[in-house]
Amino acid sequence: MSALYEVENVSLDLAAPSAGLQRLLPGPAPRMTILSNLSLSVGQGEMLGLVGESGSGKSTLARAMMGLVKITEGNLRFEGQPVRSRADFVKVRQGAALMFQDAVASLSPRRKVAAQIIEPFQINGVPLPDGEKTPLAMLERVGLPPALAQRYPHELSGGQARRVSVARALALKPKLVIADEPTAGLDVSVQAEILNLMTGLRRDMGLSFLIITHNLAVVRHVTDRVAVLYLGRMAEWGPTREVFSRPYHPYTRSLIAAEPQADPRKRRADLALKGEIPSVLARPTGCEFHTRCPLARPRCASEEPRPQMITPERMVRCHFAEETRIETQGGNHGT
Amino acid sequence: MSEPLLKVDDLSIAYASEEGALQALRHATLEARAGEAIGIVGESGCGKSTLASALITLLARNARVTSGGVRFGGKDILAVSDEEQRRIRGRHIAMIFQDPMTSFNPVLTIGEQLVDFQDQREGLSKSDKRRAAAAMLKRVGIPDPERCLGRYVHELSGGMRQRAAIAAALLMAPQVLVADEPTTALDVTMEAQIIHLLRALRQDYNGAIVIITHHLGLVGELCDRVYVMYAGEVVEEGSTDDVYHSPRHPYTQALIACDPANIHDQTPVLPTIPGRLPDLVNPPQGCSFAARCARATDHCRSVAPPHVEVGSRHFARCHEALP
Repeated sequence: MSALYEVENVSLDLAAPSAGLQRLLPGPAPRMTILSNLSLSVGQGEMLGLVGESGSGKSTLARAMMGLVKITEGNLRFEGQPVRSRADFVKVRQGAALMFQDAVASLSPRRKVAAQIIEPFQINGVPLPDGEKTPLAMLERVGLPPALAQRYPHELSGGQARRVSVARALALKPKLVIADEPTAGLDVSVQAEILNLMTGLRRDMGLSFLIITHNLAVVRHVTDRVAVLYLGRMAEWGPTREVFSRPYHPYTRSLIAAEPQADPRKRRADLALKGEIPSVLARPTGCEFHTRCPLARPRCASEEPRPQMITPERMVRCHFAEETRIETQGGNHGT
Repeated sequence: MSEPLLKVDDLSIAYASEEGALQALRHATLEARAGEAIGIVGESGCGKSTLASALITLLARNARVTSGGVRFGGKDILAVSDEEQRRIRGRHIAMIFQDPMTSFNPVLTIGEQLVDFQDQREGLSKSDKRRAAAAMLKRVGIPDPERCLGRYVHELSGGMRQRAAIAAALLMAPQVLVADEPTTALDVTMEAQIIHLLRALRQDYNGAIVIITHHLGLVGELCDRVYVMYAGEVVEEGSTDDVYHSPRHPYTQALIACDPANIHDQTPVLPTIPGRLPDLVNPPQGCSFAARCARATDHCRSVAPPHVEVGSRHFARCHEALP
């Protein structure tokens, strides 16, 4: 599979919100690292999942890929071409579309659906492909009735608003859709409808998707590969099936274990992951996960783990991944 | 078996709307006993929020009780005076809301509010109340309770906010604790921690817990009994184990089937529930799920289904529930 969008060693720093007198102190202003040395690639026609808790940098990465925030270091490449200048990002935004997290809030409350979904054409100076019928054709593609074109966003249900945002993302026939929490806040049956819509579009149009979510159940079902982010760094990535059946990073394991079981017979007695994700202002030394890691040892607090390729398709950043690997393989004996 | 602490008895609530009376809740009956945790699950529009607001007597202005009531402490709490409702609310029946950000006043510290919440507790000095607040924060797992008392809600993380909201609800030792989507706004890791906390609190809490959610996993982890709601009606009820392992109402079956957490293999197409909710201004004459049900017959479409006992304390509102 050839890469469509490549993110290579990307870092992103922002000025830390410094308080009062601190600003007057000599020396460089304090910075906070949001993304650190992150690499990721989305293949042609691939569905890639990006998971992690709030504050892990998922949405920031999506925004950086679309040029909505500037990266400090590293390289971005879209269809093999480096993306640096404003003009490059204009091209990216024609070939890739972002579906924002809150579908209703991303629509203007004062304009009808029809007027809003054709905005991508107007912004990019592209003639409407089907003339006046364009909005209707766009709605049809995402399974919405034509009558919806004349409605205002507040008249839509959560699932309909989500479909409208899919329709708008597809306007310029992008090759890649970046979907930020596409199913958050939806009922389970509606959630399944949106996911089916996305997998259908991928099948019929060869679209690639980057799905950003903290819902592991979503990732497990629709993605080919999954990348796990923790505090702006990649913890692990690999084929979805393998990562779920044999997670190597203790963080990935904790995330999987934290998922509530819709089965009273499988209630867990233990707590999956203690504490909270640390603040980017107080980034832990060494491995950033060591403060919450059940397996942490002294080395983890002082030395940063390097990415290890377990197989050409699987990466993990943990000092003790080898041990975990043997352990998990042993533990999986009976299953 | 003990008498139920709280009993929702044949409760119907309608909202006045331009199109007519919207029947958001229709003849709902359910009960919660001391020491029990019950779950109320259903999707948007099933009436669970209306039910939640009835339980804490905070019905919207355009809501009207058209039948039944909520029995608590020998009274119908929907029929008593506003003043008495205020006394019950918070003191005897407390609520944890979905968004803890909105359950606290942003311009007062957590401590000031937790002291205020104990307003009805007589014979306690302000410092006693503050101590009680700190003890409660500690109990819900807030690491530095004294420091937390001096903070504002925006200074707390999502997980800590929800813990503080739980502390606020438990402060007056209510007999009934209603939690409306208590984990929906949280990450999976924080959700697991809140589930763990609620479970730990249950061990020394003698009241009843009512969890209202669209999330089957939350009920599966926490509740003894579950009530499944659809289009304003309770369509199935039973022990969580019975309902999750042998659901008898086609809606419950469909709901469980389309929860991705229950699907272990990767599937190209996830199951959905085709169709939409019926119009609640003119609810269907027969079964409200008939239009979306694969097993519906003409009988289902014309005659409202009975409440069928399908097992021990396990009921389904369906003509086809019995094999």
